[in-house]
Amino acid sequence: MQDAAVLKGTNDGYEIILDDEADLGDIYTSLRSLLEKLRTQTASTHPQPISFDIQTGLRLLSAGNRSEIEKIFSDFQLFSVHKITSDVMTKEESNRILDQETVHVVDRIIRNGQEVHVQGDVVFLGIIHEGGKLFVGGNIYVLGDVHGVIQAGFPDLEDKMIIGDVHNAQQVRIGEQYEILDDTNQKITENSVVYVNDLHVLDYGKVEDLKQINPKFFNQIGGVING
Amino acid sequence: MGKAYVITSGKGGVGKTTSSANIGTALAMLGKKVCLMDLDIGLRNLDVVLGLDNRIMYDIVDVASGRASLGQALVKDKRFDDLLYLLPAAQNTDKTALTQDQVVQIVNEIKPDFDYVLIDCPAGIEQGFMNAIAGADSAIIVTTPEISAVRDADRVVGLLEQHPLQEEPHLIINRIRTHMMKDGSVMDVDEITHHLGVELLGIVFDDDAVITTSNQGEPVVLQADNPAGQGYRDIARRLEGESVPLMQMTDEVHPSFWKKIGNWFKKG
Repeated sequence: MQDAAVLKGTNDGYEIILDDEADLGDIYTSLRSLLEKLRTQTASTHPQPISFDIQTGLRLLSAGNRSEIEKIFSDFQLFSVHKITSDVMTKEESNRILDQETVHVVDRIIRNGQEVHVQGDVVFLGIIHEGGKLFVGGNIYVLGDVHGVIQAGFPDLEDKMIIGDVHNAQQVRIGEQYEILDDTNQKITENSVVYVNDLHVLDYGKVEDLKQINPKFFNQIGGVING
Repeated sequence: MGKAYVITSGKGGVGKTTSSANIGTALAMLGKKVCLMDLDIGLRNLDVVLGLDNRIMYDIVDVASGRASLGQALVKDKRFDDLLYLLPAAQNTDKTALTQDQVVQIVNEIKPDFDYVLIDCPAGIEQGFMNAIAGADSAIIVTTPEISAVRDADRVVGLLEQHPLQEEPHLIINRIRTHMMKDGSVMDVDEITHHLGVELLGIVFDDDAVITTSNQGEPVVLQADNPAGQGYRDIARRLEGESVPLMQMTDEVHPSFWKKIGNWFKKG
């Protein structure tokens, strides 16, 4: 029978492949004996710590399984887990990634006291009333009417932008930067780009200057990947 | 150490929020350091009346739950150099989001740095009301000359007797229409004061400017010659311990029909 845990050398270091068809109990025993073997083989006068990548194939380890593996490693002083990777992911995770890479169309009235959260980019066609809040993980393209609070890069991504007419908004926020528009009304026009500049301060530009403001984004328009 | 007043009424729409904003502003105009606390969680308005709605970053529930510090949540009114602050209410939770202990804790944290803490109480006598009175040293009860408002004020006075504060409550009679009070179609000031058995702090005349100024986010006390503003300024001075005579109900407040016509000829 093939071993449930196999050592493999890669360009980046050592990888342990856990057989995704093997029983978990077998994997633990096999992993322990593999590490035992390695310890005796690598024994020298100048022992060096080794960090392993663990690849689990088509099996997704639960938190409990992971801590079991960490426990086995903790018995070996010089060995540690660098990361545990897998070829599969949960539906939840895949939906999250999908969400993040989709441009969502939001067409509704966000009323006083309502908070709308969206992951990914948003084309906003609706109305944000005074006191309404739109929090978006990605960029926002505003075609609607904004009288409330609008935030791109929620909660803390500063490389996102708001493009469009937000001159009636109460606040614009990008990541952790914000501006109360009462104080700065003159800077913002009907087709502004709101972004965080290299000094980490909210700044305003014209849509025509998008290429200078964020060349990477400019080249990617249409299929923006969120960080 | 400042003193905390809760501004309450029982009935909705009698002018609690307007009174809070105006008394707070009037006290700031007297050079006092004032913190206005909006406890109308879910339906906050005090920020709008003060014109500070677009400056809100955090609210009282954020402070209570430790998501923000008090300093982060307090909104400064730029018109009054470092004198007037607002602690906004939360909007997307309800009145059960706060406990009495949390309110007391927040008020105690505010009090050392301010001369006055004015707590804007929500309408009703449920948990929101209990939260609001929990942190207060004294109450200002707002009523209008309407029977229904006086009834609710009476109920609130009763509740305050059950949960006594450090000081006796005060009374403000708001939205007084001179001609109706004069012709006896509503209860007059003495009747209301006597009926409720609460010390009268002041009266405020009904005035269109209260609504227009509230819409502009600039409390009516800022208008020097407005009778309603005068009423609130007098209230602030009385809170400061001055003895100010009650405003007289003269026809000057609402010029009569004949006087208006007379004025046209004067202008001509």
